[in-house]
Amino acid sequence: MASEIKMPQLGMNQDSAVIVTWLKVAGDKVALGDALLEVETDKATVEVEALAEGYLSGIQAVEGDDVPVGNLIAMIVDTDADVTTAQVASPSAASEVAPSVDASDWVEASQAERPQPEPFAEPPKRQSVPPPQPAPAPIVVSQAKVLASPKAKLLARERGIDLVALRVKGLSEPIHVKDLPLSQVGDHYALSAQVSQEAVDALLSRSEIMDRTMLFASFAAGAWRRFFEVEDVAVTLIGLDGEATICTNPDRGGEGTLNATSLSLIDLCETRLSSYTTSTVGVTLCVAKEQNAFLLTLSVSGAGLSMPQAVGLLNEIAARVEDPIRQLL
Amino acid sequence: MRQITLSQAVNEAIAEEMRRDPTIFLIGEDVAEAGTPFKVTAGLVEEFGTERVIDTPISEPGFMGMAVGAAMTGSRPIVDLMFGDFLFLIMDQLCNQAAKAHYMSGGKLNVPLVLRTNLGATRRSAAQHSQSLHALVAHVPGLKVALPSSAYEAKGLLKTAIRDNNPVVFIEDKLMYQDKASVPEEEYLIPFGQANIVREGRDVTLVATSSMRQVCEKAADLLSEDGISAEIIDPRTIVPLDETTILSSVKKTSRAIVVDEGHQSYGVAAEIASIISEKAFYHLDAPVIRMGAMDVPVPFSPVLEDLTVPTPELVAQNARKIVFGEMIHGL
Repeated sequence: MASEIKMPQLGMNQDSAVIVTWLKVAGDKVALGDALLEVETDKATVEVEALAEGYLSGIQAVEGDDVPVGNLIAMIVDTDADVTTAQVASPSAASEVAPSVDASDWVEASQAERPQPEPFAEPPKRQSVPPPQPAPAPIVVSQAKVLASPKAKLLARERGIDLVALRVKGLSEPIHVKDLPLSQVGDHYALSAQVSQEAVDALLSRSEIMDRTMLFASFAAGAWRRFFEVEDVAVTLIGLDGEATICTNPDRGGEGTLNATSLSLIDLCETRLSSYTTSTVGVTLCVAKEQNAFLLTLSVSGAGLSMPQAVGLLNEIAARVEDPIRQLL
Repeated sequence: MRQITLSQAVNEAIAEEMRRDPTIFLIGEDVAEAGTPFKVTAGLVEEFGTERVIDTPISEPGFMGMAVGAAMTGSRPIVDLMFGDFLFLIMDQLCNQAAKAHYMSGGKLNVPLVLRTNLGATRRSAAQHSQSLHALVAHVPGLKVALPSSAYEAKGLLKTAIRDNNPVVFIEDKLMYQDKASVPEEEYLIPFGQANIVREGRDVTLVATSSMRQVCEKAADLLSEDGISAEIIDPRTIVPLDETTILSSVKKTSRAIVVDEGHQSYGVAAEIASIISEKAFYHLDAPVIRMGAMDVPVPFSPVLEDLTVPTPELVAQNARKIVFGEMIHGL
């Protein structure tokens, strides 16, 4: 029966330990309690003993490696035939190999050199070779430290300004409030436009089957498709009861499928309400009535839509409301 | 409105309060006929007599101890300590006795005492008569500390101090005794713990105590030539301290310089700067700057003495640095 040798926890706050020296080589016969290797923490050097008897196999780390606690170091297999020697390095070779302390090297090595489960005769589940420690997720946010005043940092966060990018552009540190781009409007903003309702009213009066909300959904979808040059557009219709209905390509009879919502639409024309805002991430078009006009409000929340894009999109929608013929062209 | 000197304002405040309350008496060196070296108490002995305006031997611990005892037993003494530097002589009477009697007696004793003294260098009085030691007393719980920055403040704050049932250390700027300000004829009191916005501004807050108010006003004039708008806050009392006014000003301007004439290290400027850093941190666009007297005994040489205190030019220079973002620390 194969047995795992893992990096032991030797102290309360110990996350890893360095392998000082291997006292056995792969293929050596080991007895219960035999010292296999020496590991060193910042406090002590300790011998790791064999907890089973058999043959040392599949050594995962060489001398000098800093191995996280709980990670597999090697195996003890039952028979000489089971011994895997395709290991990182034999102890004799390790003395010549420069110690690698890079954590990523360790992960790669363990993935490449991990003993295959085949040699073990139906090992019980708990003794199967554990998957190697997952490599740390790639860091997306730049870890670079930018020197900026507390207020500049706060404003940058509020406005969604990347201070690292500013520095890359050549701004000298420390960055102060005056250095922040003024044009940056941030992640949350809303634009409004007042549009004459004559054309839409005329269109609705001529057709009994045409629904105003769907008409706006069509305008929004058409504008989106044209502006962003995409094929499919999904509009989420938000009802006043809070219910949401997804409507794909409303301007093309609802054909096509699209999982992600492009934008949301709420129609407040039947109410006295004039606007709707939500903290939900996305783009929302709100239609309300104001005297003899429609009030179109496009609110953007963390959707990665730049100000010029939002302005262009709202202009495109407004043009269609004003002149529905545009929708057909 | 009439203009009177700080000296006259203090004199008026004492006289008006002594007329109002017969338990008030004045005690100190040369307070009677001589009217103090600064002529602050001139004329009071003529009106109130030597029973209430008491000249003492040259023994600060002696008359301070007598005054603390008198305050505990129903009188309201105003003690005149000729120079702020002599605070070191009366530390036990002031800090161990007066400041703690109310607490140690379980609230049975009050010490309604005012200790009037002064601060300020550049009077060519050398190291033992030029110190600004208000940080020493501000550090001791149980003492209130008022720092008038003009004749108007002096009169209003001193009347409040005299009516307070706790020991108050009232520290005047000895260079300001002849400076005039508009002071109303009619009675007024300035409450403790209420800072004064001396001048409104946009770009930087100058917190200025006592003598440093004038320095900061001149600095603000210099800065306005560069298009920098400075706001000046005079805390008026450093114990109690009006944190709200200071913090709301800094939140508006995002920058602060605290200017105080005490030695810069471990001083009042440091305390206020620390409060700003702790409570307005995310509003700051620049490090908070402390400006105080150089950490040296005040030199007798006029040339050297003038170098030891904050000047309008130095304040303006620091303000420019933080407004233009040139002040870089820790790089």
